[in-house]
Amino acid sequence: MYQTLLTTRYLTSRVIPLIAVAAVALCVALVIVVVSVMTGFLDMVQSAGRTLMGDVIISYGISGLPHYEDLQVKLEENPNILGTTPIVDGWGLLRMPYPDSKAKQSETVQVWGIVPESFAKVTDFSDSLQWETPTENQRDWLLHDAITTNANEIQLLMSDDKWNTFVELINKASSTLNFAEANLWEDVQAIVTSEQWQSILSYDERLKSPEKLRAQGLSLSRNGKAGIISGLHVSDGNERQRDGTYKVIRNDYWWLPRFEGTLTMLPVDTQGGIIEPESIIMPFVNEFQSGVFMIDESRIFVPIATAQSLLHLDEAEIIDLDDPTMVLGIDPARATSILIRGIPGISAIELKEIVSVIYDNFRANMPTDTLVFPPSQSDPGLSINTWEDQQRSFTGPVEKERELMRTLFSIVYLVVAALILSIFWSIVFEKTRDIGILRSIGASRAGIVWIFLQYSLVIGIIGSLLGLLVGWTITKNINSIHEAMGNPPLAIAISSFAIASAVAIYTFIKGRTGMMLPIVLGSIGFITFAGIGALILFIRQIGGLVIWDASVYYFAIIPNNVDWPSAIVTVCGAILFCALGALIPSAKAADTDPVKALRHE
Amino acid sequence: MSEKPILEGINLKKTYQLARLKVPVLHGASVKIQSGDWTTILGSSGSGKSTLLHLFGGLDRPDKDGGDVLFKGDSVWSRSNRQINRYRNTDIGFVFQFYHLLPELTMFENTLLPTMLVHSKNSIKENKNRAKLLLEQFGLGHRLSHKPRELSGGERQRAAIARALVNEPAVLLADEPTGNLDEETGNEILDVLSELHSNGLTVVMVTHNEVIANRGNNVVRLRSGQIVGSATLAHSS
Repeated sequence: MYQTLLTTRYLTSRVIPLIAVAAVALCVALVIVVVSVMTGFLDMVQSAGRTLMGDVIISYGISGLPHYEDLQVKLEENPNILGTTPIVDGWGLLRMPYPDSKAKQSETVQVWGIVPESFAKVTDFSDSLQWETPTENQRDWLLHDAITTNANEIQLLMSDDKWNTFVELINKASSTLNFAEANLWEDVQAIVTSEQWQSILSYDERLKSPEKLRAQGLSLSRNGKAGIISGLHVSDGNERQRDGTYKVIRNDYWWLPRFEGTLTMLPVDTQGGIIEPESIIMPFVNEFQSGVFMIDESRIFVPIATAQSLLHLDEAEIIDLDDPTMVLGIDPARATSILIRGIPGISAIELKEIVSVIYDNFRANMPTDTLVFPPSQSDPGLSINTWEDQQRSFTGPVEKERELMRTLFSIVYLVVAALILSIFWSIVFEKTRDIGILRSIGASRAGIVWIFLQYSLVIGIIGSLLGLLVGWTITKNINSIHEAMGNPPLAIAISSFAIASAVAIYTFIKGRTGMMLPIVLGSIGFITFAGIGALILFIRQIGGLVIWDASVYYFAIIPNNVDWPSAIVTVCGAILFCALGALIPSAKAADTDPVKALRHE
Repeated sequence: MSEKPILEGINLKKTYQLARLKVPVLHGASVKIQSGDWTTILGSSGSGKSTLLHLFGGLDRPDKDGGDVLFKGDSVWSRSNRQINRYRNTDIGFVFQFYHLLPELTMFENTLLPTMLVHSKNSIKENKNRAKLLLEQFGLGHRLSHKPRELSGGERQRAAIARALVNEPAVLLADEPTGNLDEETGNEILDVLSELHSNGLTVVMVTHNEVIANRGNNVVRLRSGQIVGSATLAHSS
């Protein structure tokens, strides 16, 4: 009871407990923010790897696996396997629609030929599509494109007078739409009859039913023509906004689904030699965002048949080299990889074993008259890997970083612990005389220790919960904070300078009395606020601070989920260190003879 | 005097360890304090008078084989820690030269504090009433909720006496209670002690001042850690 009285008084009558609470809170917040971002980063690397490539991958170089469809059937018979999908993987050049001049830009892309239906089952493909329905602006562009492409046919539908008005409207839209909002949709409807309107809409199915935009992405085709889905960062026209959404530059002018691209790939023959490259013009049907920057900036999806034909991996006749007219048999179409997804609960390593056995059985039971056998597992070109093995080059460095961070963090924890210990040591040391007084009027040693244990627990619990709150707030808003650092508002700089000036005036007035504390505090305040203002101006001058560079850290956003296990360990650890920091010196003080403790000044 | 002394020091020895140096302070001092007496222990600085009082008050332990203190005939220093805590709290009241009030507590709380340390035989309400009564008796009735730093030295010392008396101890030990006060205020404190004594309280006071020592009715002279004389004074009061 007297302990509670003293603890309360010690807590409420001094500044030191506030400083201690702030110190504990800052330490806890620091650890929570850094650990959460690091752990979130690793989780994102891991989950991204998995959602993009399933659990287990069978792959066979660039010559590809024959009879892959039969193998898929065999694999999917196994109850542990949820789905499989073939991939044809190769590099290509994609000629982009931009810039406006004749010389178009080309991007190097990693082409994945996919079967969209089964690909969506094995990976998170369907969730990664960027465009659901066109925005009003994008719809205006589609309408504009439909009209300009089919101008000749439309002209036949209307009178010359009307046609002139119509052309005027469209020409005006062509020149203004790329910088200002236009109401082309309503304006055109106002001029044409409903019959004419319907025939204009019929030129692009996305005009009639906007949801076709997503459907075309899911089927990788438009109007029966094979299409491209490109990673969101492949096109230079997409700009990330502060809130994480994307905006297409020039008022959606460079919105990729308006255009077509030319894809060129380099095929390789069975001996590994390069064959004449082939090109194909395809419409962009949609874009995707996996969240992994390296993938989003280079990968495109096309239908598997397109990739097979560009790489010469499609079905072909085997001819006698001595007599080219003699057909010996059929060389089946090939896929470079098969992605396999297991049922929930099965580990990638278990699944790999299962797949390996199925593969061997499949190969052993091929019909005897088969001309082209799939490679055996002893072939070094064939690999059956878990997604972790497959992504080793990608996840390996990150795992090493995690080891490094763990080591560094055990040091940070020690520093935090030492800091908390020293704060409490000095608090208790300062109270040595009080301890002597209490002992001299009959307080027990345990009673003394309990006062300071209570005291430290209150500081520890309040401080670390406050730290948790601060850490949680920072972690949750880390992307906006980062954006704000990238472009710090001028208002903050101005208000910092205003505060600095106010502090300077105050210091000058107070300083004339000769008191040192106002001068010292005033100078520190002035330097701090003037420094913040100058720093913001400097950052604005150099064009903003980007710490999290998506091209370095793979991901476009900073992980912002609090790592609760680490956060709870940190909070408990901080409370424990507060308790220890108070227990050790207060036990020592309680053991001192009252007379000695009383002499303490 | 055949009456059994309330407090008795038998052949008390105390040596302090200062770094590597052993400094003997008491060389076998024996003192008897009779119940109801106001005994003053007179000695110059370093004579060991404060140490003697600390040994009496249970604040400092005599050397090994350095004698013992008897309270009502029972050994103090062979008691358990718990019993010594109770002895400090209940049997003895201690007043220091530098008051030693807790700065974060009010005068009332400082006075009440000893009743909260050990399970008290009185109710909380009784204790509170007694603390209040004592403070009022010493002229501090209007200072109950003040902090020590807001009070004068004399007021603080009176509050310290109130704290020493709150658990109704058998003996009040005062270590140079006027040493930090001016003469007038010091006299006020001595008047308080005098009044307590005349009401039957046993008082042991340490001082280096001959005049102050004469306020008691029994003077023990201490020089270089040894008792050199004892005299009973006849007072007109």
